[in-house]
Amino acid sequence: MSVVARALCSSSRRFLQGPHAIQKKANCRSIQTTLQVYADRLFTEKHEWVLVDGKVGTIGISDYAQEALGDVVYAQLPDVGTELKQKDECGALESVKAASEIYSPVSGKVLEKNEAVEETPSLINSSCYDKGWLFKLELSNDSELQDLMNESKYKEYLKTQESH
Amino acid sequence: MKMAFVQTSCKRMACLLKCLNVRQLSNASLSQEKHIKKSVFISQSSDIYTNLALEEWLYQNFDFKHHHILLLWKNDPSIVIGKHQNPWTETRFSDLQNVENEVSLARRSSNGGAVYQDNGSLNMSFFSTRDQHDPKYNMEIIARSIFRELNCSVKTGREDGLFLRSKKISNEAVKLGKENCYHNMSLMVASNKVTRNMVIPKHGNAPNIGAIGTSTSPKMMNVCEENPTASVSCLTKAVGWEFLRTRALNLVDGGMELAHQQKGFHLINPTDKWFPGLNEIRNRFSSWDWCYGATPKFDITQSFTVPGPLLHGNAGASSTLNVTMTVENGLIAEIALHMPFELNSLGFMGDPKIFHTLKGKRFSVQAFEDLEYSLDSLLDDKHRFVTECVKQVMTCA
Repeated sequence: MSVVARALCSSSRRFLQGPHAIQKKANCRSIQTTLQVYADRLFTEKHEWVLVDGKVGTIGISDYAQEALGDVVYAQLPDVGTELKQKDECGALESVKAASEIYSPVSGKVLEKNEAVEETPSLINSSCYDKGWLFKLELSNDSELQDLMNESKYKEYLKTQESH
Repeated sequence: MKMAFVQTSCKRMACLLKCLNVRQLSNASLSQEKHIKKSVFISQSSDIYTNLALEEWLYQNFDFKHHHILLLWKNDPSIVIGKHQNPWTETRFSDLQNVENEVSLARRSSNGGAVYQDNGSLNMSFFSTRDQHDPKYNMEIIARSIFRELNCSVKTGREDGLFLRSKKISNEAVKLGKENCYHNMSLMVASNKVTRNMVIPKHGNAPNIGAIGTSTSPKMMNVCEENPTASVSCLTKAVGWEFLRTRALNLVDGGMELAHQQKGFHLINPTDKWFPGLNEIRNRFSSWDWCYGATPKFDITQSFTVPGPLLHGNAGASSTLNVTMTVENGLIAEIALHMPFELNSLGFMGDPKIFHTLKGKRFSVQAFEDLEYSLDSLLDDKHRFVTECVKQVMTCA
């Protein structure tokens, strides 16, 4: 008896979940399409990267840049709410070798800065694509993304840089 | 046998290809190099703020793609801290005012630690595009010029400066921007080491402060200690000529023939007329907001022993009072007191209300003295002790 009841329950639960599940699937699909368009990080010629998720772009520096800079000892990041235009100077990284200015690869309003990086700047060296992100922007001009390089193009670009 | 032959010939081919590649690359850089001319600028100012402003002006406004610049200058006695440094911990701040000849404090916009400079130090800033930035090249130019002029052998192997007899003779700082960059080196030629040791602390004695400190104090020496004929003026010429006679992208000596093809020496008068906007940068660089206010947020904590009589007749007991100050943008943001129970129970407010007026004031003893003056008649011994402790935190800094 109890088995039957349980079976009924689970089936009814599944039935009840029906519409939600469908919606979830639809969400998944829409995320997938955005991911397909901007699946990977986009890179600038100045070795910054942007990872786009909807209207939000996360910004950091590439492995090449962190390697060139050496051990980062201080990070000065833009304050939340700052309106930035593409290529605006918006902070600085200081390493044992140099003080390097940070430029925003895209336009937008700063939503968040990575306080963990301000606390522990070496995150930029140890995890430049993940924990070492610098700040997040609400993108104001999607068309700027078209001029940036995807990962494979960026790798090609690096090869031409090294030959200099 | 056959296999071995095939292998070696393969290796040879690979080597040949590599050689070809290298030749191709150097050809590319050669053609690029032909279009780059060089100039030596010598600043006629000895004011640290003006010279830093000139350096910044060139960095912001000049196009170095086809024109590399070496800017040479010297300063009146000054202490120059790195862009993100803390003047209260990286200099012997309280002594700075007491040094016989006035020493100015300045903040540069490049990296690195605190450097003492006077008319016996030569500043050299190598400007290029960011892609052509090559610190080893710049250091080698200086080493060669010292060798040619003074017959002293300077080591350039390490990235953190030039060494003579394993003592450091230069300080390094680099600023990297979107297109442009500069590499500044200040060379100790005949600088006053006594004043230097007075204004730059040896690390380890500094109070407990949680802001970045990148200054290290390795043993430093003057070039004149190795060769007494060394002077800033003779090295200004020597470094200038060495820069002009060396090819732009490769460390190859082109002799005086190449030097004469360059744009030569220029005496620069850093005024707003020649460099529009220079005054504005100079004003910023000499302002309190830049020199002190640009310090990253930091905490400073000090402990004080509370004298027995203040602890309610408990003469034998000793207790400590901890004062922590948080300083943001050079202004006092917070003051926290951790006091012994006895002081507290005797009616001293746990919340240091009298210090509230200090918040937002510049982190300096002056702010405190103003407050103390207005409060003096209101204070009893215990209050006076605690206020004295808070004042101490500010004077030590």
